[in-house]
Amino acid sequence: MATRQSILARTISTPIILTLILLAVAGLSLWVDNGIFTRTIVEVFIRVMIVVGLYTFIGNSGVISFGHIGFMCIGAYATAWFTIPPAMKKYSLRGLPDIISHNQLPFYLSITLATLFAGVFASIFGKILVRLSGIAGSIATFATLAMINTIYSNWETVTGATSSIVGIPRKTGLWTGFAGAELAVIVAYLYAISRSGLALRAARDEAVAAEASGVDIARERLKAFVVSGLILGASGALYAHFLGVLTPDAFYLGLTFISLSMLIVGGMNSLSGAVVGVVVLSTIIELLRTLEKGVTIGAETWSLPHGAQEIAIGGVMIVILIFRPSGLTRNQELTWSGWPFSKPSARPDEPIEDRATEGAGA
Amino acid sequence: MTEFIQMIIDALSLGSLYALGALGIALIFGVMRLVNFAHGDTIAFCVFALLWPSIDAAAIVFAGNLPTILLIPLILLLGAGLSVLSEIIVFRRFRSANPATMMIASFALGFVIRYFLLMLYSSRPKSINLWANLSEPIDLYGARVPLLQIVTVAITLGILGLLTLFLKRSRYGLEMRAAAENFTMARMLGVRANRVIMLAFALSGMLAAATGLIVVTQTGTVDIQMGASLMLIAFIATVIGGLGSLTGAVIAAYLIGAASVLMQVVLPLDARPFRDAFVYGAVILTLIWRPNGLFVPRSAKQRV
Amino acid sequence: MTLLTVDAIRVSYGKLTALRGASISVKEGESLFVTGPNGAGKSTLLKAIAGVVALRAGTITLTGTTIDGKSPEDIARLGFSMVPEGRDVFGSLTIDENLRIGIGMRADKDAAHRDLETVYSVFPMLAGRKHKPAGVLSGGQQQMLVIGRALMAKPKLIAIDEPSLGLAPKVIDDVYATLLKLRDAQGLTLLIVEQSSARAMLTGGRMVLMRSGEVVLEGDARQLARGNALQKAYFGYGDH
Repeated sequence: MATRQSILARTISTPIILTLILLAVAGLSLWVDNGIFTRTIVEVFIRVMIVVGLYTFIGNSGVISFGHIGFMCIGAYATAWFTIPPAMKKYSLRGLPDIISHNQLPFYLSITLATLFAGVFASIFGKILVRLSGIAGSIATFATLAMINTIYSNWETVTGATSSIVGIPRKTGLWTGFAGAELAVIVAYLYAISRSGLALRAARDEAVAAEASGVDIARERLKAFVVSGLILGASGALYAHFLGVLTPDAFYLGLTFISLSMLIVGGMNSLSGAVVGVVVLSTIIELLRTLEKGVTIGAETWSLPHGAQEIAIGGVMIVILIFRPSGLTRNQELTWSGWPFSKPSARPDEPIEDRATEGAGA
Repeated sequence: MTEFIQMIIDALSLGSLYALGALGIALIFGVMRLVNFAHGDTIAFCVFALLWPSIDAAAIVFAGNLPTILLIPLILLLGAGLSVLSEIIVFRRFRSANPATMMIASFALGFVIRYFLLMLYSSRPKSINLWANLSEPIDLYGARVPLLQIVTVAITLGILGLLTLFLKRSRYGLEMRAAAENFTMARMLGVRANRVIMLAFALSGMLAAATGLIVVTQTGTVDIQMGASLMLIAFIATVIGGLGSLTGAVIAAYLIGAASVLMQVVLPLDARPFRDAFVYGAVILTLIWRPNGLFVPRSAKQRV
Repeated sequence: MTLLTVDAIRVSYGKLTALRGASISVKEGESLFVTGPNGAGKSTLLKAIAGVVALRAGTITLTGTTIDGKSPEDIARLGFSMVPEGRDVFGSLTIDENLRIGIGMRADKDAAHRDLETVYSVFPMLAGRKHKPAGVLSGGQQQMLVIGRALMAKPKLIAIDEPSLGLAPKVIDDVYATLLKLRDAQGLTLLIVEQSSARAMLTGGRMVLMRSGEVVLEGDARQLARGNALQKAYFGYGDH
């Protein structure tokens, strides 16, 4: 019977490798030593937080949640409420309760409270949603995202509705970003090797057998949902302090789909997949962005037409998925013992007979 | 009384639009278990085809100038063509992939289509005057109702009728229905997988074209984001209706349209901007009550 | 004349090997029973022939044509019809529609429609409910429906996976009586996966026993069922 210690010993190489990757990314920023580049790197770290947070629920439960970016929105706006100088909030956000309106919290306290605030909503929504499986669950989370977006886009006195709210102290720098990403990886790892994580993955692969073994699927899912919500709340908070301004539409379909793409292209069921997906796709995005701005070869400046960058990204994602349907990491973790990119997936493949399992319901 | 009639027509008209969108999604989902996130962008593509590619704010109407009798078949063909092309180039490679992968592939495809349009037309919404005479209000028992709304409902019902006839009476329709229920078994009885799937995509593409034409006539603008909000409701209707059930998707779409209009009237003034939030809340509650959808018989638990 | 040859096929689901070098052959007009414990690979064997699962190794030939690697719809057109485990009727389609699906691949539509009438005469209980959805039928009636449906494809070889599953003994008797009538009247070649070797013994024909993905015993159904070679092979006596 595997004990907590032995599981830790066997799998610890994964978070260590991922940490090294993150450090390498930070190191790259220090080496290039360019303000704009550093901001790009910080954005990569925040994306890592987002996608790792998504993995925590989606990878372990097998249910695709479109809703978690909504918790990012909640966390972002919460920290904004706490930290925008009272002089500004009093006029632009009249609906805020006095205690928030008249005060300004220090950075670390604010992001902690914002994270917890998002977590509260994750628990509330989670309690309702985790009973649903498969596509029904996914669409319900989609409705959640839409609901949160609608509320934030219309509650003028509290969120400024669709106009941006400004004045958020820009505190998220390179090492804050790194710390956020690293913390996300550690939390996700600890959850994955916990009893709950193991039970949830068992239920993901074989729901009936798991239930028969006494797993309360809804309860384990709720735990993953909330942990995921907390990580996303934190990422939202850091993002708010990175941008300095917020609008609700930044946390809607665009970000949701890019984040999910990074997760699935990396490998939906693995933590390493989350990190790899972000790093690989971000690199490609930045490369294409540079090409779009123009590359000087000799005396000629050659650049991609506007919009070509996104077309290329879409194309790249499709190509990657054609050749690696279970993602770049083939749903396995990065470990010392082997390069996972050459081994086929450990889970039984479906035979040609596709759609062996039908849509909704467990 | 006039308000009541107005409400009914609004609900029917909105529901019809949602129903067309939901059908486009449900057709493909039924046969392939694929949620086609590129559908909204297909709608936009069909509409942009009315214009000559230009990044100016003013739309240069191109195909939009053709007489209606040529215009409609042309746009329908374009929609079918893009859809079938999507299947041949992209979706065919993902036949045996898991649902998440297929979903992201469809999203990536939609992304490509959308930015291709952006490259040709820029992101500025353009205005276009298509069939403006349809916006004329007509008198219906005292209520002044834009003719377009009636036309929308009529066209939708017509399309539903044609589709039903096709599915119930034709050989290909039979094959599609069988494939939607059990793809593998249908193949073992000789049903050609590729043919059925291409047919589903072609029909879906035509529905996208029809949806686009109605939306552009209603709003008078051509905008890259056109399909997005409609698509969200379409996905929701497909799931609430019961996955794989076309009738269910259509009925659910009309219900959502009705709920939307009802909320608009019933909610206190302050809460009106949040109407959509209430609709989404109702969606979540419906899914909790009937996770398998409203119109699928509560299936037996998985046989162990 | 040998109708079907399965030659040393390997089938794996990921890391799990379901068939390791299984071989059978079926002559025209004969009835072959495939029996064996759960997990022996019997269903996988049928699925491999039908083209639903891919082969890692080995070949399958039907009337001289290689069929491994072909799509299920092509294999069906070459004369192979399968009734899978669990009676996959199209529940939302009517009985008549279920039967008509097989007509699509028939070149001669008139003959096909005559065959439809024949099926209704062989299965009168279906004729009375033609336009009812297939989902409301009882287990035994569904079994008749799927056999009739498979027949509509005018196959040279019908494979049936566990026809007795979940049916009462009297109903199983009826099903088998019908199968035999068809075999004798139309010269149908049957390949039946059947857990109950007693059925095989009653029906007569050849039998193969599968265990752990391969064929371990072969012979005349009646002889095998009477002797204890079957028990030995089933339980693995005398293996070590």
